[in-house]
Amino acid sequence: MSKKYIPNRGFKLATIFFLGIILASTAFSQEDVIDPAIIASGEKLYNANCTQCHAINEVVIGPALKGIEERRERPWLLSWIKNSQKVIESGDEYAVALYEKYKKVAMPAYPFTDAEIISVLEYIDVASKVVPQVAAVVAAGGENGAGGSNEGMSNTFMYAILIVFIFVLGLILVVLGLIISLLTKYIGTDKEVSHEDQELVIDQEVDVFAFLKSNTVLGMIIFIFVAVGLKTGIDGLFTIGVQQGYMPTQPIAYSHEIHAGQYEIDCNYCHTGVRKSKSANIPSANICMNCHVAIKTESKEIQKIYAAIDYDPETGEYGEDTQPIEWVRVHNLPDLAYFNHSQHVKVGGLECETCHGPIKEMEVVYQYSPLTMGWCINCHRETNVKSLDDDYYTNLVELHNEKNTKEPMKVEDIGGLECSKCHY
Amino acid sequence: MRLKMKINTIYTTIIALFMFSCAAGPDNPGVEFSPQMYHSTPYEPLSQIVDKEAGRWVSSNGEDVPAEFYNSNPYNAFNMTMREPVKGTVKRGQYLTPTFAPDDYAAADLLLVNPLDSTKAILADGKALYTRFCSHCHGAKGMGDGKVGKVYKGVTAYTSASVVNKGTGHIYQVITHGKGRMGSHASQISPEERWKIAMYVKVLQQ
Repeated sequence: MSKKYIPNRGFKLATIFFLGIILASTAFSQEDVIDPAIIASGEKLYNANCTQCHAINEVVIGPALKGIEERRERPWLLSWIKNSQKVIESGDEYAVALYEKYKKVAMPAYPFTDAEIISVLEYIDVASKVVPQVAAVVAAGGENGAGGSNEGMSNTFMYAILIVFIFVLGLILVVLGLIISLLTKYIGTDKEVSHEDQELVIDQEVDVFAFLKSNTVLGMIIFIFVAVGLKTGIDGLFTIGVQQGYMPTQPIAYSHEIHAGQYEIDCNYCHTGVRKSKSANIPSANICMNCHVAIKTESKEIQKIYAAIDYDPETGEYGEDTQPIEWVRVHNLPDLAYFNHSQHVKVGGLECETCHGPIKEMEVVYQYSPLTMGWCINCHRETNVKSLDDDYYTNLVELHNEKNTKEPMKVEDIGGLECSKCHY
Repeated sequence: MRLKMKINTIYTTIIALFMFSCAAGPDNPGVEFSPQMYHSTPYEPLSQIVDKEAGRWVSSNGEDVPAEFYNSNPYNAFNMTMREPVKGTVKRGQYLTPTFAPDDYAAADLLLVNPLDSTKAILADGKALYTRFCSHCHGAKGMGDGKVGKVYKGVTAYTSASVVNKGTGHIYQVITHGKGRMGSHASQISPEERWKIAMYVKVLQQ
C-alpha cells in the first residue's frame, strides 16, 4: 500500500510512526495522512458511481468494499474497474469466481483515469475505518414492519374507551339508585319530617308498566319503529345494483398502500392500459417481476406469483407450467353502460383518485364511488372541458361562447349527457 | 286492531332487513337490479365466469346452453377471455425497429436511429413518461435515488461515468431488454414511448 504524505508533516509523522512501533499500538497507524483533496474527490466519484451497487460494510449487489486493497492488488483493481468483462474473459480465476458468486451481474465498465480510481480506493480505505452503524439499519427495518397495524390499534382503543364509558354510566345509575333508596328510608324514619310529607314520598308509586302500556307511549314506540324500518327499507332499495363498498378478497394480498402510497410507484406503471384502452388493465406478472425478482422473495404472497409463472427463485429460471392469477374484479360496471378509461384519463385529464378514491391508503381495494348513472351525470354537468392547448375544441369553444359567454364549456355542453354516448 | 298492527310491524321489519341485505359488503357485490342487462354476452376482458350454471335462474335459454352469466372462452387455455398477441406479430401503426441480441448494447447504440425530433412537446411527453415508468427507481432527477430504487439497490444513476456518454439507442435497448438488475419494460412501454423516454434521459444527463 502506497500512501501520499504531505511533505511538511513528514517529521511529525515520522515521530508518530516511531512511537507507534514502540507502543505496538494499531491506533497510531491510522494517523497516516493522505491528501484530503484526493479523498474528497474520491468520495465524490464513489457516491456518484459506486453506491448503487456497493457499500463499504455490507454486500449490496456487488461485494462489500471494506479492505478491498487487502484482498486484491492495485493493478488488478484498476483493470477490473476499467473493464470487468475483459478481466473475466481473460480467464482470471478470481474474476470468474467473483462473477459466478454475484449471480452473473456484470459490473459496468468505467472510463476513469488511474488517478481517479486511486482516489476512489483511497476514499474506500478511509471509509473502511469508520465503525459501521448497524443499529440504524435494523431500526429502519423495524419501522417499516409496524406501519400496518396502526389503524387496528386505534379502533380497539376506541372500543375500550366506549366500554369503560358505558360501565361508568351503569355505575353512576346504580349509585343513584342506592342514594334514592337510602334517602327514602331516611325520610320514612326521620321524626322531624311531617307525616304528610312522608306519605308523599314513600307512598308515591311509580307504575312503570302502566305508563309503558298507555296508548300514547305505545303509539310513539310503534311509530318510531315503523319509521326506522321504512327508512332502512327505502335506503336498502337504493343500494340495489350499487356495489359501493365492495371489497373482495384477492388471491394475492396485494397492497396499494405499500406500492402506490409508501413507495410512490405511479399508477400507470402497472395499469398500462389506462391511457390507451377501455380498460386500465390488471398488470401481468412480468411487471411484478420487474421488482420482485429481488424484493421480498421470501414472502408467501410473492411466492404465489412465482408459483403462477413457474419461476424458481433459487435458479432464477422460468418453467412452462404457468397458470393465470385469478384476481377478483372490483369495479363491475353493468354491461348496459359503456365506459372508457383512456377517454377520461388521457383526454379528460382526470386523476385516478377522482373516481377510485384514496387508493394510496387502501390495503385492500374497495369500490369507492357508487358508479351510478346519477354520479356519472353529475360529474359531466360540473366538469369543465380541458379545451386549452387542444385544437380539437377550438370551434366548439367558439360556438359555446357565442351562446353563453360567462359559463366555461362543460362536458354536458359537448354531448356528455346524450343517452347514446354511454348506452348503445 | 292491535294484532294487525303488530303483524304489520313484523312485516315491515322483515322487509327492511331484507332490503338492508341488498347492499354490497366486503365479499358480497350486493343484489343486482337487472342481472340480464348487467352481464356481458360477448367475451369481456378482465372478467370471467367459468361456472356454466351461474345465472341459470334468469336464463331463458335451454338447459343444454350455458347459463346467463357464463363468460369464458372454451378455446383458450384456462378458458381465459384474453389472449397474448401471437409471437412475431406487429401491432397496427407500430413501426419495426431492428432487433439485436438483448445484451448487444453497443450495436444498438450504434445502429438504432431515433425517429423522433427533439421538440418541446416530445420532451414534455418524455418527462411525463419518465415520471410514470422510471422515476420510482431512478429518481426524479435520474440520480438512482427513487423510493423503490433505494430498496431495490443497484439502480444506475444517469450521471455515473459508465452510462453518461451512452446514446439514445443504448437507452432504448436497455428499456426494451433490461440490463443488470433492471428487467425488460417492453410490455409496458411502446417503442415510440421508449424513444421519448430515452431523449428525456439525455436531457437529465446534461
